[in-house]
Amino acid sequence: MKKRFQLEWLWVLLIAITLFNTFLGEQFSSTALVSVLVAISVMYKGIIVIDHFMELKYANKHLRWLMRWYFIIFPSLVIATIFF
Amino acid sequence: MSEQQPSQVLGIFPSSWSEARAGRIPGHIPIWVGILSELTEFSLFFIAYFVAKYHYPEIFAQGPQGLKTSLGVANTIILLTSSYFMAKAMMYIRLDNYGRCQGYLWLVFSCGLGYLAIKTWEFYWNHQQGLSTVTNEFYTVYYYMTFNHFLHVGWASCAVLWVIFRLRAGRYSAQEHSGLEALAVYWHMIDLMWILIFPLLYVLR
Repeated sequence: MKKRFQLEWLWVLLIAITLFNTFLGEQFSSTALVSVLVAISVMYKGIIVIDHFMELKYANKHLRWLMRWYFIIFPSLVIATIFF
Repeated sequence: MSEQQPSQVLGIFPSSWSEARAGRIPGHIPIWVGILSELTEFSLFFIAYFVAKYHYPEIFAQGPQGLKTSLGVANTIILLTSSYFMAKAMMYIRLDNYGRCQGYLWLVFSCGLGYLAIKTWEFYWNHQQGLSTVTNEFYTVYYYMTFNHFLHVGWASCAVLWVIFRLRAGRYSAQEHSGLEALAVYWHMIDLMWILIFPLLYVLR
């Protein structure tokens, strides 16, 4: 069942993460924990879209890793801003 | 006239990069040249954001509070939904189900229009609040990044219309749909850029 509706599950998950991130930003002042949570969830959202919507999971490994690195590097800079 | 046929392979890349060894390239190579160029362009925007935030932490902490977060959330949900619709369109072309494929492509187009309408309303609302590109460094980066993304959604929406036209003309099938797949990966790239832009401009203080 989960496999059959995988795209639907992932879509719901992506929206839930978006709403959770917004809740964090609205309810809490910018703390190190909020920044880390937002950065990790953005990485996760990006990887879901790259692997399952863009369908790179079973496609060209160089393109997949290039896209994945993009979504590791820039969210990591969010964590780096904690030290600003 | 020479009867020698042009080679199908340029032979300028290492063999380890070949599709046979590294895996299939979704769409085709030209769209990935475009996508990687766009990623480079957006990476410059993101670097500009982080450099500016480093120099003006107070302005960047207060900046998101002047924006209408609900519009940013709405556009995020619209783009994520459009990516889901695009993935469904790809699923149905592989099943040779042209009707369903076309239906989902129209939904993607509707999401594109929805995004553009909400973004236009947001720019108008900002203007009513007295916000502009010269308000402060945060809003300079905000307009630079979001207007550029707005343009990308605009022309990608036009490309969706073109792909629908080609689909109706019978140019795509379960066996050959590289043009549709190229648009799909480009559309997902635009969604990915918004996934990064949204928390930087609307969530993080």
